[in-house]
Amino acid sequence: MGPKTGVYICECSGNISEKVNVAELLKRFAEKGDNVVLGSHALLCSEAGKAFLDEEIKKHGIERLVVGACSPRQHEQTFRDVMENAGLNPSLVQLANIRELCAWSTEDGQEATVKATALVNAALARVAFHVPLEKKEIDVNPDVLVVGAGVAGMTAALSLAQKGRKVYLVESTPWIGGAVVKYEDVFPNLECAPCMLEPIMDQILHNDQIQLLTNSAVEEVKGFFGNFDIKINKKARYVEPQNCFGCEACYEACPVSVPNAYNYELSQRKAIYTSAAGLLPNVPAIDTANCVRFKGESCAACQESCGFGAVNYDEKDELIECTVGGIVLATGFELFDCSKLPQYGYKDNYNVVSTIELERIISSNGPTGGEVIIGGKKPASAALIHCVGSRNSETCNYCSGICCLSSLKLSHLLRKNVEGISISHFHSDLCLPGKNEWEFYNKIVLEGTQFNRVGSIENLKVEKGKDGLMITDGENTHGPFDMVALSPAVVPCKDSKTLSELFSVDLDAHGFLSEAHNRIGPSATNTKGVFLAGCVQGPKDIQGSVVQSLAAAGGILSALVPGEKLELEVATAMIDGEKCAGCRICNSLCPYKAISYSAEEKVSIINEVLCHGCGTCVAACPAGVITHKQFTKQQLLAEMMGAL
Amino acid sequence: MSENKKLKLAVYWASACGGCDVAITHLHEKVLDLAAAADILFWPCAMDFKYKDVEEMPDGHIDVCIFSGAIRTSEHEHFAKLLRQKSKVMAAYGACSCMGGIPGLSNVTTAVESMSRACLESPSTLNKDRTLPALSADVPEGTLTLPVIWDTVKSLRQVIDVEYFIPGCPPSPEITWAAIEAIVSGKLPAPGSVIGGNKSVCDECKLEKKNEMRVGEIKRMWQIKPDTSQCLMEQGLVCIGPATRGGCGALCTNVMMPCRGCYGPVEGVDDFGAAMLSALASVIDSNDEKRIAEVVDSVPDPIGTFYRFSLPESTLRRRKIAKEGV
Amino acid sequence: MSNFEPTIACFLCNWCTYAAADHAGSNRKTYHSGIRIIRTPCSGRVEPDMVMKAFREGADGVLVCGCHPGDCHYVEGNYKTERRMRLLGRMLEQFGIEPERFRLEWVSAAEADRFIELVNEMTEAVRKVGPMELTSEAVLASEKGGAK
Repeated sequence: MGPKTGVYICECSGNISEKVNVAELLKRFAEKGDNVVLGSHALLCSEAGKAFLDEEIKKHGIERLVVGACSPRQHEQTFRDVMENAGLNPSLVQLANIRELCAWSTEDGQEATVKATALVNAALARVAFHVPLEKKEIDVNPDVLVVGAGVAGMTAALSLAQKGRKVYLVESTPWIGGAVVKYEDVFPNLECAPCMLEPIMDQILHNDQIQLLTNSAVEEVKGFFGNFDIKINKKARYVEPQNCFGCEACYEACPVSVPNAYNYELSQRKAIYTSAAGLLPNVPAIDTANCVRFKGESCAACQESCGFGAVNYDEKDELIECTVGGIVLATGFELFDCSKLPQYGYKDNYNVVSTIELERIISSNGPTGGEVIIGGKKPASAALIHCVGSRNSETCNYCSGICCLSSLKLSHLLRKNVEGISISHFHSDLCLPGKNEWEFYNKIVLEGTQFNRVGSIENLKVEKGKDGLMITDGENTHGPFDMVALSPAVVPCKDSKTLSELFSVDLDAHGFLSEAHNRIGPSATNTKGVFLAGCVQGPKDIQGSVVQSLAAAGGILSALVPGEKLELEVATAMIDGEKCAGCRICNSLCPYKAISYSAEEKVSIINEVLCHGCGTCVAACPAGVITHKQFTKQQLLAEMMGAL
Repeated sequence: MSENKKLKLAVYWASACGGCDVAITHLHEKVLDLAAAADILFWPCAMDFKYKDVEEMPDGHIDVCIFSGAIRTSEHEHFAKLLRQKSKVMAAYGACSCMGGIPGLSNVTTAVESMSRACLESPSTLNKDRTLPALSADVPEGTLTLPVIWDTVKSLRQVIDVEYFIPGCPPSPEITWAAIEAIVSGKLPAPGSVIGGNKSVCDECKLEKKNEMRVGEIKRMWQIKPDTSQCLMEQGLVCIGPATRGGCGALCTNVMMPCRGCYGPVEGVDDFGAAMLSALASVIDSNDEKRIAEVVDSVPDPIGTFYRFSLPESTLRRRKIAKEGV
Repeated sequence: MSNFEPTIACFLCNWCTYAAADHAGSNRKTYHSGIRIIRTPCSGRVEPDMVMKAFREGADGVLVCGCHPGDCHYVEGNYKTERRMRLLGRMLEQFGIEPERFRLEWVSAAEADRFIELVNEMTEAVRKVGPMELTSEAVLASEKGGAK
């Protein structure tokens, strides 16, 4: 005789009993014997109903429970709580959905009673195979790794850096600030970007909970949510921050001059350098690829010029190891390479620039100190072409969403910078979402800027005419223009693929790191504990990046509380290591990378922390050694046979 | 069985190729040990016995009956039942007896279809008069009869109770000897046990699993020259090893021949053909509906692939017979 | 044959089609009472063996439903279902099981009406091909014999 099982039918205040003949239903189970206790109640989910069940469980010594009521999606938890309150394991209850799936959806009362009997029978057959499942908890490390010190990474780091939680902020370049500090002003409020970031950067540099690691790269990630083991390579900078005062005397002394990539090679810099004035931390770095000393010459010019002994050629790369519970990836974006679309004459013509180059030209710490000089003179006329690379199935099959507004802003800044300039925009649509952006557009229109809507941006051609650059759209010719600025699509950062492999986060169709769910999981990833912030996940503006950073921080703050343990999903899958022969069929199937293969033991292993309990590995195992704790094969077959 | 008495052994073949009987002789010099330990009361394939020899035995006279072959005819069933009655222990020996084996594949046809194919349609058959075997024929000496061939082939346990299962096509000498040793020494496992490995063939296979399993394309043996160090399934070959009980020493895969499943399911799996179907389909490396269809359609003969040795023991056992056909 | 009421075993994903079936009930839309729903965490939990066992245990039809491609609650469980059920479908054909009896469909939580249409349509299609009667056929056939 099996365990004593209670079968209780809820009348649902008539919702069930008006269609299903409850007495007749129960009569069918009367012959099941003494170990099945039968009962019914007007409304089991009510306080009175729950008290009734509690009493019955105790009175009859019920060990397992079948509740014939509504959908488990509505009240499974209710009856699990009843079990728990009665001192039973909550896994030992099974609901038979005789309301939605039967009473409400069956025309005929007799048929409904037959069907409800089958459904209750199925639940009774199933519950016999239920096993008590215990909640599990693991110790977690509340510290967090943030990769990328742009606006997204910095925002996340500051939100996370609280009492009891350390943040490792890793930045690949020697300076923080990311893309935003490259801009002079940002849309729509035309705020000075470096000024806006200044307080954030200051806090980053002085927050004791944040360990800032510039000029550094994450080299290894092991472990899982709650306990990731990280190895970071902190590359030598050859200038000691504690001794450097940022006087720039070393720049003068350095004999090497190379194009400055930060300014898109529109200016030169030395081998010991900061990319632009005002970058933080205000400490130069030596670029060993170009420094003649690192090429074997005996030059020590910078060291000799330094009055504070800050230049140290013997500095070595440092390996930093840490354990963190969560990770935020905020490595930003790149811009589409305009030379891939030759029709716009980029690179063939010095007067055709990309909008990011124009940003630097306009910037007061840019190559010309903020003076707009294109092709050797101030332009009297300018054209801006939107959507270069964007919304094109061959290049970037999406709208980057920020380029229209950034082009409008550049229009405004150009006009401010070059008196009397005439400006024309070429676009096929305009993307101006948000509560301030439409007004911003109207403001630019009122400034006298021309907007030319063309059928297809791809069919535009930029050619050199005798008076300047001419733009043709197949039918019409526009111009001449002294300069043309191309507004490129936002594309995934160049490290996207490496990051994807390092952190086990999928890439989407465009090559951005993929969020867990496009609508309701926009910051989490399918690797539990790894979150995305900013353009690493897809194109977005500063506001969008900051919002996503806060979301990432919130996700981690709520899941990893210092001093508290992490409760694991109960309904996971598990592999019987005694029987697994290591065929590796299941390895590639887990979308959460919860399954790994131990070459040593020749078995596959499921990490319970990462398992979401979907059961796809269970259905695939050819040797039947994987079990889903809440949907075992026995349970499902018993339910199915009981229902037929 | 008492100490001073030799073990009484019977060996019988039903619907079988005889390979299982050969497998017993494959014990080589150990056959002598077997002969020393046991009296063979009945082994029609190897020695001259008559059915009446068995009929005349008292019930339970035979200590162990090693039964190979599937149950396909009235004679097979009659003899299975008779031997059950005369034997203390029944051991199903070989894939046919355990699961229906290769003869079991004819469960995709009916007896009439099989007979017609064999006697009338096969390209190598010349049968101008379209003669078919008759169940009985009158000859001057009396009436000759033939057993009835059934539509559905069965495994041994589907007609009688069986204590032990020794799988394989044929069972390996190691497994055979292990079973005989257990029988002779009286150290038998629990009734219902399968004598074989505890894990699937992958555990014994020396080929290396180099990657997570993903199959982009299903390949046939003749299409590739397999890498002799890498898992065959990783190379696109359909290998039933992941679903099949080991114990064979991975004889086939170790010589680059994909496993076909002759040892049957591992403990706890009921329909291992279905399990293998699921496993193989799961690792098709595409999410594109069209591509999935292409790969699925390239799996040759699913029943023959996944139930090569086990169709009668599969969930559905046989092809559904149209009502009017019965 | 005309009063034959098919029983159809339905394996429904908890996150989409099971929710659609719940909604169908909440909307008080009735459908054929021979529908027997088994809730699974994902259509990817359904084993081909379970489909065959349903047929063996007397189901006249089997329906497996999951989230639409690209919408799986567990990222891509439904693609694995697609792969498995397609191969199973080929094998069921070899078993002589009429294609009307076995379907894989994608029904989202919002498609209660489509769920009803689907089960009603399938019920009618199965009614036309008749009862399954597999178990008895398989067993009986072996007793009756065929060779003349």
